[in-house]
Amino acid sequence: MSMIHVRINGSEVADDVPPRLSLADFLRERRNLTGTHLGCEHGVCGACTVLVDGEPARSCLMLAVACDDRSVETIEGFAGDPVVAALRRTFHERHALQCGYCTPAMLITARDLILRKRAGSEREIRDGLAGNICRCTGYTNIVTAIAEAAQEIGKEAPNAQ
Amino acid sequence: MKAPAVDYLRPRTLTEAVDLLAHASVEARVIAGGQSLVAMMNLRVASPGLLIDIARLPELHAVASYSDAVTLGACVTHAAIEDRRVADPSRGLMPRVASTLAYRAIRTRGTIGGSLALSDPAAEWPAVLAALDAEVVLYGSSGRRSLKCTEFTTGIFQTKLAQNEILESARVPKLSPDARYGYVKLCRKSGEFASALAVVVTDPRRGYSRVVSGAANGSPLVLADTSRLVAEGPRDPDALRGTISGDLDRASDRHFDDFQRNLHTVAAMRAVQQVLV
Amino acid sequence: MPNDQYGIGASLLRKEDARHLHGRGQFVADIKLSDTMDVAFLRSPHAHARIRSVSVPPGARGRVFTAADLPRIKPIRITSQATGAKAPAWPPLATDKARYVGEAIAVCVAPSRGEAEDLANSVAVEFEVLDAVVDAPRDMRGSRHLIHEQWGDNLYIERVVEGGDIDAAARAAEVTVTRQFRMQRQSGAPLEGRAVLACRDHRLDEVVVYSSTQTPHTLRVALGEFLDMEARRIRVVAPDVGGGFGPKARLYPEEVILAALALELDYPVRWVEDRGEHLLSAAHTRDHHYKVTAYADRQGRILGVDAEIVVDAGAYGLWPQGPYQEAAMAARNLPGPYTIANYRARHYTVATNKAPLGPYRGVGRPGACFAIERIVDEVARAVGRDPVAVRAENMVRSEEMPFTTVGGMRLDNGDYRESVRLCAELLDLPAIRARQQLGEPDGRLIGIGFAAFAEQTAHGAAEFVARGASIIPGFESCTARILPDGSVVLMVGIQSHGQGLETTLSQITAHELGIDPARISVRHGDTESTAFGFGTFASRSMVMSGGAVARVSRLLRDKLCRIGAHLLQCDPAQVRCAEGAVLGPQGSVSIAEIARVAHLRMDGLPPGVDPLLDATATYEPAIGTGVFSYATHGAVVAVDPETGFIELLDFAVAEDCGTMVNPMIVEGQIRGGVVQGIGTALYEEIPYDETGQPLAGTLADYLMPGAAELPAIKIGHLHTPAAATEYGMKGMGEGGAVAPPAAIANAVRDALAALGAPVGAEVNETPITPRRVLAAIRQAQTAAMSV
Repeated sequence: MSMIHVRINGSEVADDVPPRLSLADFLRERRNLTGTHLGCEHGVCGACTVLVDGEPARSCLMLAVACDDRSVETIEGFAGDPVVAALRRTFHERHALQCGYCTPAMLITARDLILRKRAGSEREIRDGLAGNICRCTGYTNIVTAIAEAAQEIGKEAPNAQ
Repeated sequence: MKAPAVDYLRPRTLTEAVDLLAHASVEARVIAGGQSLVAMMNLRVASPGLLIDIARLPELHAVASYSDAVTLGACVTHAAIEDRRVADPSRGLMPRVASTLAYRAIRTRGTIGGSLALSDPAAEWPAVLAALDAEVVLYGSSGRRSLKCTEFTTGIFQTKLAQNEILESARVPKLSPDARYGYVKLCRKSGEFASALAVVVTDPRRGYSRVVSGAANGSPLVLADTSRLVAEGPRDPDALRGTISGDLDRASDRHFDDFQRNLHTVAAMRAVQQVLV
Repeated sequence: MPNDQYGIGASLLRKEDARHLHGRGQFVADIKLSDTMDVAFLRSPHAHARIRSVSVPPGARGRVFTAADLPRIKPIRITSQATGAKAPAWPPLATDKARYVGEAIAVCVAPSRGEAEDLANSVAVEFEVLDAVVDAPRDMRGSRHLIHEQWGDNLYIERVVEGGDIDAAARAAEVTVTRQFRMQRQSGAPLEGRAVLACRDHRLDEVVVYSSTQTPHTLRVALGEFLDMEARRIRVVAPDVGGGFGPKARLYPEEVILAALALELDYPVRWVEDRGEHLLSAAHTRDHHYKVTAYADRQGRILGVDAEIVVDAGAYGLWPQGPYQEAAMAARNLPGPYTIANYRARHYTVATNKAPLGPYRGVGRPGACFAIERIVDEVARAVGRDPVAVRAENMVRSEEMPFTTVGGMRLDNGDYRESVRLCAELLDLPAIRARQQLGEPDGRLIGIGFAAFAEQTAHGAAEFVARGASIIPGFESCTARILPDGSVVLMVGIQSHGQGLETTLSQITAHELGIDPARISVRHGDTESTAFGFGTFASRSMVMSGGAVARVSRLLRDKLCRIGAHLLQCDPAQVRCAEGAVLGPQGSVSIAEIARVAHLRMDGLPPGVDPLLDATATYEPAIGTGVFSYATHGAVVAVDPETGFIELLDFAVAEDCGTMVNPMIVEGQIRGGVVQGIGTALYEEIPYDETGQPLAGTLADYLMPGAAELPAIKIGHLHTPAAATEYGMKGMGEGGAVAPPAAIANAVRDALAALGAPVGAEVNETPITPRRVLAAIRQAQTAAMSV
């Protein structure tokens, strides 16, 4: 077991973890942050995407022990984040979710695309979503919702390219 | 599936890391971004007894630019290369490659050194750095040594990295301003491993040309005759195709079937055409 | 119509969204019960092997369970009334023999999943490996080692569907076209795998089984049967379910085993399927082989179709319906929306050493559609005409409806030919033809293709009786309860896992009662709170459950009106429900006030009216054979003839599902189905090698469509309300997945028509991989040279 200190959604957390424990399982089983979902556990489906030190990362491919002294944001966080707020609104208005399983990670990925200015066109958004599988929606409405949120945030204009 | 039980240590220096590696009583593996290793552990195709976490060693994040080359610390991430946050010796080739590599959430953690040390046959960096004539710097109990990437990777997941060595950095020669490159990755889905890769670098000022096939059932495959042909400048497509075929034919140890052979030929043709345009 | 701002036809935003957008959905793996132990299964690494012994290390005793340790579990048995059907018994933990890679042999219990897997790895099983049966057409009559020895062959069932006189059609034919088609085996692959959490509730003397299932009530029936328990002592809860698509509409051994473990042990046990287990052991789907001959006249009018269909159904039949429906539905649907008069389909359902086949969006029909729609295109090419025209001309005309096809499907209404025209318009067919003339600067070849289908939906008792089904999902139920404050709870027997039924069912009550949907809760997926229902599958929930909601809402409306009229001192015939109130000729009384009277102030009730606003109703559509949605799908592809890689440039759907309760949700269902169909067409495949080892164990091998590979999906609607359902609704959940393989294959065919002229190259196998495209091109070129 190893003692780790992690800042999760702004709060300092200390826990003793077995080294084999993934960040995803640490969040889900130890911290009850079950909005981070597991869809494959080998890095392809994207459902477990969280932010580690501000960057999107697969929580299934990170060991909790390696997150000692790092900060992690999950879908349960983002209080007051204007990009996530805009995305939540446009995902709702555009029917960009069905079963909801991919949704938290889809929002986190979309937020990153908008902040990195990679949501300026349908092509850019689609390429940026390559690592997040949605089995329900067919993506059309997700792409539209992200484009609209990007426009709302004002950092990108859709169809600019 | 979940990873098997494992011990974990996070040394503070590279020397300490190498010591741990050299003296481990169980199978010890170095972990950096973990983007392949943790996946393999989750699938239980890898079950090391000890993980030595080198992700935060400052030595491995060092990037240095020299007159003729750039050294990239092993723990430089794909995303850092993609975003041009580190010096680019390749005049845009490496950022372009990085942007096609898996997905952003993998690129933020995955490292160039990890990719080289693992040498997945379908991975991008072993082929691209072989095409750039890069070297890897290995740090071990008995000191440092350098190897050309073309020699370092010896087969499928096989390299010359010794058990007591850690890949410290990659030294990538700088391309001249008028150098040209081509890069083709054929894959069915964005972010997937390649079905065929082709990388072409030609730098007449340095008298250098090289064409490399990746995802080639083994280590990156240097197409020797094609490389020479590219150095000589434009050729008609049929001659080019014939030369590529000849190079692929000689690599009989790769056991390409017709489909793969065709795909590698097309990838190489197209990559060369990017250079010739 | 009243109440239109949120009633029938309104694209009301979903009630389900908020929880998921905040990561507060609750899937099985999210439920925390104290002292829960995790479970992992030891699964067979062999496709076909006798189990000689299972050795549990001494330290693992009491934490590893084999069939012998859980004697209360009975083998899973399916029954079928169909003549000649064979039904194997399936012990949830294998006893004497393992019949597919992934079959459960032992179950291991530990504080964490990782430790449970460690335990599973510590168990040694001695096998005697037998030859695997992997080639269904070759081995259906027999093999060296039969899968179920007592059968004498490897056939679950063989049947013939016929009508008219196929031999006469053959004699009359001016053109004969024969092709073989193959739709490979794939996975349903919802993003959330299966998951079960089971525990005892001593206070209520019951076992509670949380399962990621589409069918909680029938799961309870099954658990009662195979654990020999009374249903009153079993509660099944399907919480949020992360996609179903059919595979979660069947009983699985794991569900029985977890419930048995919870009874055996005195702590909760949890099994969360991982992706490898899903690809290995959750229901597989498709896996059809066809040989089809079409007889036609010189104009392309199809006189008859003769077909042979082999479905590779795997080692066991999944409860309740067994393995029979896949081939049977393919055979009955193969004539499609066409007036083909003469037909014969011999169909075979074959046992192999592969994972059991189960339902997946479209069930049987994507394969049938692939076969008939490819043949229609080949007939058109054989007579030198445009497939669009030939397709439309062979279709049933509106004025001929209702029309019973030669396959026995009663097509109720619609304008099928218009859907072809509309789809061609959505893709701008003339512009594509012009682009083809010009050629592409990058050397790729452009093709456009179409495929049409009619989709049986919301079929009731008559259909399932005809199939010989052991359970007849012919109705749905709803209990509606208006609470003392006037808010409403609808309790339904279906399960919603992405379809938005919490929203759309409340729209129906809103429509009937004039209540804001925000004042309505929908409860589903819990046997504790809902009357019996069959669950969500077969494009049935909106019509069936929606019908039950409509009926029960009217019962409550009548009572509201009686009480309201009494309070307004007028005749019940003079009042109506709207705007959250009962409106009379002079004045109104709110539903909240009426609800208060019905519960808290019974002195205000009219004489003879009982308290409470609580009713249960069931619903079956007036026609038990289903109402038919229909659509034409069209695809535009660019094929790289050097690599065989395909880019999907455009995709359009022109469809008619009758009255749409919520058009936004309808379009979401269509697009989602289409992309799954694109997965079938281009990406998804679980190959098996000759020893019965499955070769797609991760999502790196099992490719699913991603956003980057897809165009935006275009949709055009036609509107022909059904006569036999409430509001004219038709089901539509599956249709999206039916036609894309055929439409894309026809587009690829169109793109490759010029290669290897005069015949051209065609790919008649899904997924249409680069390897298969190049092989087809080579074959056509070789054939052209030998002409």
